[in-house]
Amino acid sequence: MTPETRHQLRSLDRALLALIDERARLLASVAATDPGRKPAVDDMLRRHEGLFPAQGIAEVFEAIDRHSASFAQERG
Amino acid sequence: MILRLALGTAEESVQALRERLESAGLRVLRSPEEARPILAVAGKVPEKLAAELRTRAEVAEIVKPSGELLLVARAMRELPSVVDVGGVRIGGGEVVVIAGPCSVEGRELVLEVARKVKDCGAHLLRGGAFKPRTSPYAFQGFGVEGLRQLKDAGEAVGLPVVSEIMDASDLPAFLEHGIDCLQIGARNMQNFTLLKAVARANRPVLLKRGLAATAEEWLYAAEYLFEGGCEQVILCERGIRTFEKATRNTLDLTVLPLLREWSHVPVIVDPAHAAGIARIIPPLARASIAAGADGVAVEVHLNPEEARSDAAQALLPRELLGIVSDARILAAVTGRRLHP
Repeated sequence: MTPETRHQLRSLDRALLALIDERARLLASVAATDPGRKPAVDDMLRRHEGLFPAQGIAEVFEAIDRHSASFAQERG
Repeated sequence: MILRLALGTAEESVQALRERLESAGLRVLRSPEEARPILAVAGKVPEKLAAELRTRAEVAEIVKPSGELLLVARAMRELPSVVDVGGVRIGGGEVVVIAGPCSVEGRELVLEVARKVKDCGAHLLRGGAFKPRTSPYAFQGFGVEGLRQLKDAGEAVGLPVVSEIMDASDLPAFLEHGIDCLQIGARNMQNFTLLKAVARANRPVLLKRGLAATAEEWLYAAEYLFEGGCEQVILCERGIRTFEKATRNTLDLTVLPLLREWSHVPVIVDPAHAAGIARIIPPLARASIAAGADGVAVEVHLNPEEARSDAAQALLPRELLGIVSDARILAAVTGRRLHP
């Protein structure tokens, strides 16, 4: 791998992390039971035309959803 | 000349240096920076004194700013400054969205727009009560009653409000009605009497760029505010006049990274007045945030075609929602955050 490619990968990783964290910030004020918290995985898979495997996308978003429970607002 | 003193310089040394400069007939202004003493020296420093300053142990760095831009200069602060408008922090790594009707058109209408922009995630409510219109026959705004309606709407939904002041004689009304941020419009950017009066009001000021002003002239207008005692200044790029006729003005995004280098003052962008065309505002808002703007200001109306001013550039609430969503993404990937 060239240093340039590595640099671009690191930039993308930082952007992905920033976006995941921003999603968490937005959810912090949403009730734990709100069904809208869940990622719209099916919708994303329907639109997905890229290289990343569909199964992988589903797993990534399921993991995000699972970990999102830890900072859900405790209300009904 | 700006003198950045060494960290931990004793207050007695700062005062002694200040007195030395003042004894030479120079005016000395001090940065409110707490982390490090920083002095701005107005006037031409004689070479002999400049040489002395270079040898003084407490002077860590001597910065020569452009012209007489002192208090707005980047060297006057350790970090870019942050302006607090009713609890909303502008600058310092957070991105804000300001939205509302171009003109306050009535109590119910402004309240309904306020609810919508709040729901969409905007952080400040804007609305004009005193309108600078090109034609004397155009709607001039509801004046003081408009200020009252705007503030009531802002309080009802929990948003601080910003509104344009055109005349220093109206200042008591703006303060009495609790307008959280005083906007100085493009046409008044170099109204120095107004700048001086507003500077004394101890309120945050949104200073729009004049439609034919250079970036340097704009910063000099901000310098008037700082020199007059106002430390809470936000710059607002809103497009400048060029030969291009396809848009109302030309949005000058080149100025954003330059202002970052030159000044500590936060900068937002008003893409609506630059474009004058509602449909091209969202991409310009995205470009503004990507280029480093601390926020964007847009106009929102429930029925844009019925707006009493700037109808062509008014957005629908759903279009505002798109801008807020984009701002959230772009702020994150550029290492910042959308204001909560």
